[in-house]
Amino acid sequence: MATVAYRNIVKSYGAVRVMEDLSLDIADGEFAVLLGPSGCGKTTLLRMTAGLETVTGGDLLIDGARMNEVHPRDRDIAMVFQNYALYPTMPVWENIGFSLEVRKLPKAEIRKKVEAAAAVLNLTDYLDRYPRELSGGQRQRVAMGRAMVREAKVFLFDEPLSNLDAKLRAQMRMEIRQLHDRLETTTIYVTHDQIEAMTMADKIVLMKGGRIEQVGTPDDLFDAPASLYAADFIGTPAINLIEGAVVDGAFKSAGIHLPLPPGTAATAGQRVTAGLRPSDMTLGAAGSITGRVVLAEKTGVEQNVHLDIGGADFVVTAPRDVSVRPDETVQADIPPQKIHLFDSASGARL
Amino acid sequence: MPAVTSAKAVFSSDHPLPWLFPLIAMLVVFTIYPLIYNIWLSFHEYAPFRRELEYVGTDNWVALWNDERFWGSLSVTLTYFVVVLIIELVLGMAIALLLDADLAGFGVMRGLLTLTLVIPPAITGMMFLLIQDAEFGVLTWVLEQVGVLDGTAPILSTPSTALLGVMLADIWQWTPFMVLIFLAGLRGLPGEPYEAAMLDGASGWQIFRRITLPQLSKVIAIAVLLRGIDLFRMFDYVFVMTSGGPGTATYTLSLYAWQQTFSFIKWGYGATISLVSLVLILVIANLFIWIAKVRW
Ligand SMILES: Nc1ncnc2c1ncn2[C@@H]1O[C@H](COP(=O)(O)OP(=O)(O)OP(=O)(O)O)[C@@H](O)[C@H]1O
Ligand SMILES: [Mg+2]
Repeated sequence: MATVAYRNIVKSYGAVRVMEDLSLDIADGEFAVLLGPSGCGKTTLLRMTAGLETVTGGDLLIDGARMNEVHPRDRDIAMVFQNYALYPTMPVWENIGFSLEVRKLPKAEIRKKVEAAAAVLNLTDYLDRYPRELSGGQRQRVAMGRAMVREAKVFLFDEPLSNLDAKLRAQMRMEIRQLHDRLETTTIYVTHDQIEAMTMADKIVLMKGGRIEQVGTPDDLFDAPASLYAADFIGTPAINLIEGAVVDGAFKSAGIHLPLPPGTAATAGQRVTAGLRPSDMTLGAAGSITGRVVLAEKTGVEQNVHLDIGGADFVVTAPRDVSVRPDETVQADIPPQKIHLFDSASGARL
Repeated sequence: MPAVTSAKAVFSSDHPLPWLFPLIAMLVVFTIYPLIYNIWLSFHEYAPFRRELEYVGTDNWVALWNDERFWGSLSVTLTYFVVVLIIELVLGMAIALLLDADLAGFGVMRGLLTLTLVIPPAITGMMFLLIQDAEFGVLTWVLEQVGVLDGTAPILSTPSTALLGVMLADIWQWTPFMVLIFLAGLRGLPGEPYEAAMLDGASGWQIFRRITLPQLSKVIAIAVLLRGIDLFRMFDYVFVMTSGGPGTATYTLSLYAWQQTFSFIKWGYGATISLVSLVLILVIANLFIWIAKVRW
């Protein structure tokens, strides 16, 4: 149980600065998800937290105590590495039990804990194998198991499910979340899979190029993205972004005429971008958006209808029983409060 | 299929024999023939007056079994083998771990390591003979100053310390060899398991024992094999430093075989001793190769 705080963290590799003035608070028992595209500094932040990477500037606090110079061994942190980092010369069960072995727990107790973790991870049949003899997904689960048997202050997960198939991934998502609900250990979880972020997080930290773009609950990020970047990153299918201008108290663009969302601070003539989530819209006979159907993708649960509006691709999610034909002209509508408006130049939410 | 096999087809990898011929020829001439001759020789003995080899049956083997000097030199050889091997292994590993830390100046030290290896062992033997000289040897002087020696028992001419004196030369010359092999091994190890082990809470010693050592097991086996064979047939140092003395305190198997063959002109008996050494080396070498077989 611990709080983790980052105060004005700076990180450079030689002359290359990869993180600039990053500040973040993670509460005791919180499940925080670091989300962001490849290379934005997620792994770097985790490795600094674990003490495997030096902090160039700023303070790293765990439970309020400065940790910058504390040895990794003494931080009481468990980590699942992005590249697994298994012990090549130990069979699976020794890999999982190593942290208990070095704490001199009785053999029988180690065996019990390892077997319990292996059962959760579907690894029971592989306990005597060596890492070399496992598939990528199996190795990844061994790496998970190594963390699961620990009773650490903080858990760090670096894309722990990236190599699993969809079904196993969904199952492991639940297992991890349940494990967290049971142990209530402060957890920092890295992913670039937004479904993982949305389903598991208490708090999502959206990163971009070594900075934090937005921090909030999954609902915050979905319902009130703080920037164009955040709006674009969250949600599948991706949000529709349309460039236009504010004219006569309304948003105008080719083929689209929308009322301004309530309480918007847009000024007349300003170049703005409207963000419309496919799932917030309805197809119908009448509406403020008119377009030609290009194609309808069935996802099983519903369908994503692609419209051509002034040459731009526009997606509307519709129930699967709505029938649309290519080249048909349709109308779509959206409630005003669901419209997200951003300044086109700065990307900031209006 | 072409009716005539062209030269090109013969010299392809489908027909390895032409390529292997030079090696096989060398093996036959320099290894297999001498080995067979050696076995044949061990059932014969040179009769100096008739100037010819005559068949003696198993006489040489029976004599060997009853020869106290043979058993004595075998025990000297084994002692030398075990003690020097352990010291060179432990010392070599310790120095390798230290140099792997990559502090300033360690690069130069790694370079200097090769120096001892290029000195001919006979010269090293001469050096250590001088260093341990009873009258003006530096080591003798130092040990007398700190009170280990009292001037009445020179290192190389006292039965209880002579072998130690010889071992010193070997350790000085060959520990760097171990260091080089181990350093190469350490450099090749992946870094991630070390990070994981630190987070798992392992101490430096636990990390060494459970992460480093197992991963180096093959490298260690090779080092043991290469050094072990050399140690078992050690000749140069004792020949130069003690000639097997005082008494027979430093008589190794090789030296004894040499003495029987060339001083006493007992070719058959010398061959018998050599054969026993060879068999022992083969057994020990295969033991280490077997130990080094790992599954991971
Ligand atoms: N040892 C290093 N030396 C120099 N630059 C580095 C080093 N490690 C990482 N970087 C740089 O730091 C930035 C952040 O890397 P990091 O590994 O944290 O990304 P990430 O968000 O984890 O990406 P991914 O999702 O692909 O794992 C990248 O631009 C990377 O090139
Ligand atoms: Mg990463």
